Amino acid sequence: MQWTLNYEETWLHRMNPAFKLVFFLVLFLGLLFIHNPNVITYVTFIPLVLVAFYTGHKRKLLLILMIPFLLLFFSSASSMIFFGQGTTTWWKWGLIHITEESFYRGLHIGFRALNFALLGLIFALTTRPVLLFYSLTQQLHVPPRFAYSFMAAVRILPMMVEEFQQLKTALLVRGIKKEKGIKRVTQTIKLYAVPLLSQSIRRAHRIAVAMESKQFHNGERTYYYNTRLSKFDLFFVMYVIFGVGVTMWLGLEFPTYAITDVRK
Amino acid sequence: MKVGVTNLRVKYSGSSELLFNDLSLQIQKGEKVLLLGPSGCGKSTLLQVLSGLIPSAVPVPMKVEENVIAESAGYVFQDPDAQFCMPYVDEEMAFVLENRGISREDMDGLIQMYLHKVGLHFENAHVEISSLSQGMKQRLAIASVLSLEPDVLYLDEPTALLDPEGTTDVWETIKRIDENQTMVIVEHKVDTVIDFVHRVVLFDENGNIIADADPETILSFYKHKMKEYGIWYPGVWDEHKEELTLKRSSNQSNSVVTVEDLKGYRGKNCMITLPELEICEGEWIVVTGENGAGKSSLLLSMMNVLKTTGQVCVNGKKLRSIEEAREELAFVFQNPEFQFVTHSVYDELAYSITDHVHEKVTNWLTEYDLLHLQDQHPYQLSTGQKRKLSVGTALFGDQRVLLLDEPTFGQDAKNTFKLLQYFEELRSKGTIILMVTHDPNIVKTYATREWVISKGALMCDRRLNSREEEIVHAVDS
Repeated sequence: MQWTLNYEETWLHRMNPAFKLVFFLVLFLGLLFIHNPNVITYVTFIPLVLVAFYTGHKRKLLLILMIPFLLLFFSSASSMIFFGQGTTTWWKWGLIHITEESFYRGLHIGFRALNFALLGLIFALTTRPVLLFYSLTQQLHVPPRFAYSFMAAVRILPMMVEEFQQLKTALLVRGIKKEKGIKRVTQTIKLYAVPLLSQSIRRAHRIAVAMESKQFHNGERTYYYNTRLSKFDLFFVMYVIFGVGVTMWLGLEFPTYAITDVRK
Repeated sequence: MKVGVTNLRVKYSGSSELLFNDLSLQIQKGEKVLLLGPSGCGKSTLLQVLSGLIPSAVPVPMKVEENVIAESAGYVFQDPDAQFCMPYVDEEMAFVLENRGISREDMDGLIQMYLHKVGLHFENAHVEISSLSQGMKQRLAIASVLSLEPDVLYLDEPTALLDPEGTTDVWETIKRIDENQTMVIVEHKVDTVIDFVHRVVLFDENGNIIADADPETILSFYKHKMKEYGIWYPGVWDEHKEELTLKRSSNQSNSVVTVEDLKGYRGKNCMITLPELEICEGEWIVVTGENGAGKSSLLLSMMNVLKTTGQVCVNGKKLRSIEEAREELAFVFQNPEFQFVTHSVYDELAYSITDHVHEKVTNWLTEYDLLHLQDQHPYQLSTGQKRKLSVGTALFGDQRVLLLDEPTFGQDAKNTFKLLQYFEELRSKGTIILMVTHDPNIVKTYATREWVISKGALMCDRRLNSREEEIVHAVDS
């Protein structure tokens, strides 16, 4: 079965994965300090441009992946819009109470969620796990023991999915008497968890022994992939700084909403 | 002396007896030694002790007077899917070189060199391991182990989970490795290696050495032991055939299954196409063909697990859904563990029947020698017993047709013959056997009909008259 996606390598792929990880965490934190809904609306364009043009994946795949994120946007925005508190009432019907404050707050939260999601998407679509772990050991000095175990684990996942499908067919053919109500849940868990876990535990143990037999150790080693910082990392930082600068200016000079701080 | 143990004792937790009681074995430089014995006699454990994996990587309590392990050992394991930690061929090869501290500049050349040694030629070695065949994976495993430049090479049933083609490939590869390489081999399919090793060590079920000699001596004096232990020695099939009395299937029997223009789809892809076919009572059909030709899809289409067009009728009744197919066709998967749904052997059999439960289950358990294990968890059975139980559970609805996906795969000779005889017994009572297999001996000996599948289509449907020849032969002698 084909598990890997075909994509073109872009400059985002060539960034240093460990640096990317740290920098994205900083961006996540930074987003929490934007309280002006005008700014955060414009800020959304920064990751959106990257997702749309520079991940190297097919448009169709990107559109499919956007569906859950738009859902996230609307669900987080709408719950705040409908049920949030505020003084200037626009519309009230039963439990639903839309005020001016809750509307802007809702939009703000929606855009924040969308930003998180887009950044996460960029990271996931442009980072190979193997390179991430190589980079974590080399740049952040994560012990090889953990890094290589994670790489082995990533390899097991598609096998588990395949086994899950086999198991599903086998149980279908066997004919399961389905229990009712809550028992159905425990029954399903038992039917799937026991065989899948027992297979995976045995396999993980075997891989671990095989790795040790290949003289794997936790000490000094050479690397097949030498990951280091490059001009792409600098370029990305500049892009973000420039982007934030421009969107801040736009947000302050050309506000689209009547409110400038959702906390008030 | 290269490697060896003197007075070795090993004890696994939970078992009351010692696995080895003062076992001594010495292996000289350049020797190629084959360890033989029944399953569970501790051959693999011994291999792991000799290679130093026990106790350093696998903690098992052991006591030894003298233990000489190789400075560097290369260990090839049984399961092609459980010995790599990287997703790509080049990365896996590089993993070993990294462990050895080889500098980056030398890696590419070395990777190519070791891959060439095992006959894997990639222009660019950045190939996904999951896209390789099982035989190629094992050759990759050998290449990565060779890149350790090991003093001693340990091979722990490297072909147990491979089809005949992969098995030949892997042994051809191993035979091409440097003549002076010391090797210790555990293998059940002896027919492919016996002419290659210098020395054979034969164990009994308690882990004692009962013979230690050159291959010719072992083959002439200990054949009965090999037979008892289920080892695939040369000529084992011929001996098995001589013991068999196969009844010829009568030509005039009732048609039970009819297939009409059956097509099975996975998504939008048509995986298998079958024309109009008729299957009669007491037929044993083997489905053969290359990997990925559509053999398993054929079985799954008949069961309605895949989306299908066309139809399958059993006794004139059309099978429209999995539920209806289940009533008429019994299906046994390659991995029997996936078909177990309860926590004991008894419950497993009782699961799908409603009347005379105790009587039926006990009868079956007695007949197939599993009564003493009826309270065990199905997972605790041996591989042969698991297979037998999965066939039993599948057939408990009194179905007349049995579909099997490589049921003898990875089994030793004894289990294989037992299973085949069990199927033959069912067949002689009128059950139809439809079996996917790679084993040409099963085709030659048991089958009454062969379907050859290629690229998702039935290439050839021929009746086999081997059984008639057998009978003529018997009369002659």
